[in-house]
Amino acid sequence: MTSGSDPALTRRTAVTAALLLWAFPAAQAAPFGLDQLMAELRQVKSATGRFVERKELHMLDKPVEASGTLIYLAPDQMQKITISPSWERLAVRQSTLTIEQEGKTRSFSLADRPEIGAFVESIRSTLAGDLATLERFYTVTLTGDAKDWHLSLVPKERKLQELVKDIRISGSGRSIHTVETEEADSDRSVMRVVEEDIR
Amino acid sequence: MTRARLVLALWLAALVACAAIVAETRISTDLSAFLPRSPSPAQQVLVDQVREGAVSRLLLLALHGAPADALGTLSRNLATQLEREPALASVNNGADTALDVERDFLWRRRYVLSPDVVPARFTASGLHDALMRDQELLTSGLAPLLKRTLPGDPTGEMLTIIDAFQGETPPHSRNGLWFSPDDSRALLMVETRAAGFDIDAQQQALARIDDALDAARQETLGAAAARLLVTGPGVFAVHTRATTQQDAERLSLIAAVLIAGLLLAVYRSPRLLALGLLPVLCGALSGFAAVSLRFGFVHGITLGFGITLMGESADYAIYLFAQTAPATTPAATLARIWPTLLLGALTSVAGFSAMVFSSFSGFAQLGLFSITGLLVALAATRWLLPALLPQGFAAVEARLFARLPLMLMRHARRLRLPVLALLLAAAALIAWHRGGFWQEDLSSLSPIPAQDQQLDHALRHDIGAPDVRYLVIATAASEEAALEASERVSARLRALTDDKLIAGFDAPDRYLPSEAAQRARQAALPDDPTLSQRLQEALVGLAFRANLFAPFLADVATARQASPIQRSDVPPRLALKLSSLLFERGDWTAVLPLRGVADPQRVAQGIAGLGEAGTVFVDLKAESDRLLQDYQREAVLLALVGSLVILVLLAIGLRSPMRVLLVVTPLAAAVLLTVALLTAGGGKLSIFNLVGLLLIVAVGSNYCLFFERQRRQAGEAERTLASLVLANLCTVIGFGVLSFSRIPVLHDIGLTVAAGTLLSLFLGAMLSASGGMPAPADAADADASHRPAP
Repeated sequence: MTSGSDPALTRRTAVTAALLLWAFPAAQAAPFGLDQLMAELRQVKSATGRFVERKELHMLDKPVEASGTLIYLAPDQMQKITISPSWERLAVRQSTLTIEQEGKTRSFSLADRPEIGAFVESIRSTLAGDLATLERFYTVTLTGDAKDWHLSLVPKERKLQELVKDIRISGSGRSIHTVETEEADSDRSVMRVVEEDIR
Repeated sequence: MTRARLVLALWLAALVACAAIVAETRISTDLSAFLPRSPSPAQQVLVDQVREGAVSRLLLLALHGAPADALGTLSRNLATQLEREPALASVNNGADTALDVERDFLWRRRYVLSPDVVPARFTASGLHDALMRDQELLTSGLAPLLKRTLPGDPTGEMLTIIDAFQGETPPHSRNGLWFSPDDSRALLMVETRAAGFDIDAQQQALARIDDALDAARQETLGAAAARLLVTGPGVFAVHTRATTQQDAERLSLIAAVLIAGLLLAVYRSPRLLALGLLPVLCGALSGFAAVSLRFGFVHGITLGFGITLMGESADYAIYLFAQTAPATTPAATLARIWPTLLLGALTSVAGFSAMVFSSFSGFAQLGLFSITGLLVALAATRWLLPALLPQGFAAVEARLFARLPLMLMRHARRLRLPVLALLLAAAALIAWHRGGFWQEDLSSLSPIPAQDQQLDHALRHDIGAPDVRYLVIATAASEEAALEASERVSARLRALTDDKLIAGFDAPDRYLPSEAAQRARQAALPDDPTLSQRLQEALVGLAFRANLFAPFLADVATARQASPIQRSDVPPRLALKLSSLLFERGDWTAVLPLRGVADPQRVAQGIAGLGEAGTVFVDLKAESDRLLQDYQREAVLLALVGSLVILVLLAIGLRSPMRVLLVVTPLAAAVLLTVALLTAGGGKLSIFNLVGLLLIVAVGSNYCLFFERQRRQAGEAERTLASLVLANLCTVIGFGVLSFSRIPVLHDIGLTVAAGTLLSLFLGAMLSASGGMPAPADAADADASHRPAP
């Protein structure tokens, strides 16, 4: 009996083991990855939120603060409306950046203005879950998990390195909480996004 | 006989002289002779500028027909290829708009370039205001752009300068390269070294661009299907030359073969054919020689127009050959038909004379050429041919051609009612024609094909540089005075921009301020101790780090001492722009193109309010509309005066109002029918059509004159009719072939005259024959006794 049941048992064990062996590494490798984060972010069709931005600039003796509203519309439109200390609207659509202040409107091609383009593209591509664009400009590393993730963007090209040291974006799930920027001239800014409404 | 030899010798000598002149003649295909020429100096300046100025060297390239990514790579590879090309001065596909040299120039000279540099800006309170704004900008989205320049430029002069340079929106770009807004076309801008009117050089440059495209295509994956579109003044010049050459060569060959074939079939003698074409050759040679002597060159379009002369001047020999009755001499025939021939030729000359007086300069060549050609061909027929015709020359048998007009004449009475009905129908068609009779677009007169014009328009739209419609033009005696005028206009335009009446403008003083303005701006800058003291005061209460603005103090100190900018200091790309906005043509002219004009009337008032005599606001659209109306008015006037002269000539020649009426009636009817045909179905008339109508009268009168002179003898009547039909056919072939030309002036005149002269022949047969119909020809008698010797 035992000898008769042995092969069957062995076979079952082997199959189970094989299944386990096959399944386990996958389960093990399932930790939170860039692809998953980007896929999550791509689900977002629109997002709005209030922001508070604190800047430490080497030209000024004390930090300055600004606040306003951020609007994102998939896949490539973004607006940053500053209300305090003075009104300003910064809008990106396709490859054109428009900055509106006190009735004066200026338009730039993002490619022509890497100083601004780098920042805009980092945030917009993150919002859009567009890893390809991010990786064209930055070395992207991800730490944390889905509930508390941290993206680090370090410029790849010399030209961009001369402007930006790194950009760190943190969030949870589909929402972005902070964007921290350190520029090459050691100017720093931290932007916190609150009261987000994501659809 | 000796007299005949003398005539022959003189003739030969004249012919050789003409040939020598023609051999030395430059053939030009320069567009400007046939571009609508402007009566107003303002627009003349622009036309000239398009022809010779910096703008004429710009070519706009578009790659299409492949996926956008492939087009982008192709654009990069093509730009790399083109940059190696010595025929091109610059290549731009949007990738490198950094313009380092230009930016450096603007930065270094910002204190003399910025119109905002005034004393008040550099007082303590002026500086304080500027610094307050800077602090705000540092927290704004513009901060990354301003940070680097702020320590050297707290008053923001660079921003003022850059703002002024910027259009509303930059050209659309995709991954940093210029594309059409729908991403279907990658765009490049190329500047040739040669001027636009240097057609050979432009053609070479275009060929080199094609080569570069082939090379770039091989390096680019997935771009095999990509196609290149090129537009610009250079392309127009090259295409028009090719079209003109092709038309002149191909069409004159076709006309020559047709006419020679027809005449050979009728004459059945190569010798007679050669003799018949001799007046044509003499006429053409002397016509070209006359044009060459008068203008110094012969235009390609004039060469094309020579085709019509072939058809017309062949007529005289046809009349002679076909009307010489058997057993009479050519000299006798000439003596008989000479008054009619001369009168006919004179009416033709009167018609072409109208062209000579046209302000459409190309017409003058066509007119002079035709007048000379016709008179010489006539003279050759009168004095040369009789001496050269073989002994015992007998009439050419062409009675076959007489059948149709004979039939028409026989039934003239019965046909009058249907003809009248036809004319009434034509008149009704004209009366109920909708939407105006005239071509409303000046560009319809241009020899540049409509397709090329549309492509140019589309690509300009793509790159965000649509045609300028409004501009301000300031003229002055010197460069400095023109710049000062430009500065006064600029100041007014800045106010208009603030009032949102215009979106923006460009001005030469932006690139090169007048010396007076530069000195004034230097004088507005305080000396170093004063400035640093004021700066200290201005910084009170602000958060700027100490000593941040040391570069500012240093730069101002330098700017105060610097010598003013000369024209030669302006870097290449800006200089290119400057040369299109400021140039010398007798006087100095400053051009200020306006963008986004919301209310032209108030802008015009604003400019007029400056009260400067040499400064005008120009609406190019209105200007070109006015120009077209002027041309039309002139063409109508010339046509009326030309017709009147012809009428007077006929009255003198025929000495009878009734006879004049008989000649003129069919011509008027032919003109009426032709107008109805041309405008049927909403067609519109160009000034070329109108001149063509005059030529119908001028050329068609020849046939009507012969009809009116109809004799009753059957044989002669038939011979006359046959010669008329044959001559008419040659003329219709000449003008008809021309109607296949792609050049508007040739096409329109060709079509109008071909249709009109054919109609005037038929109508002449029905309406002009004064003596009613001739007796029916006695065929047996005529055939038996008058067949030409084999």
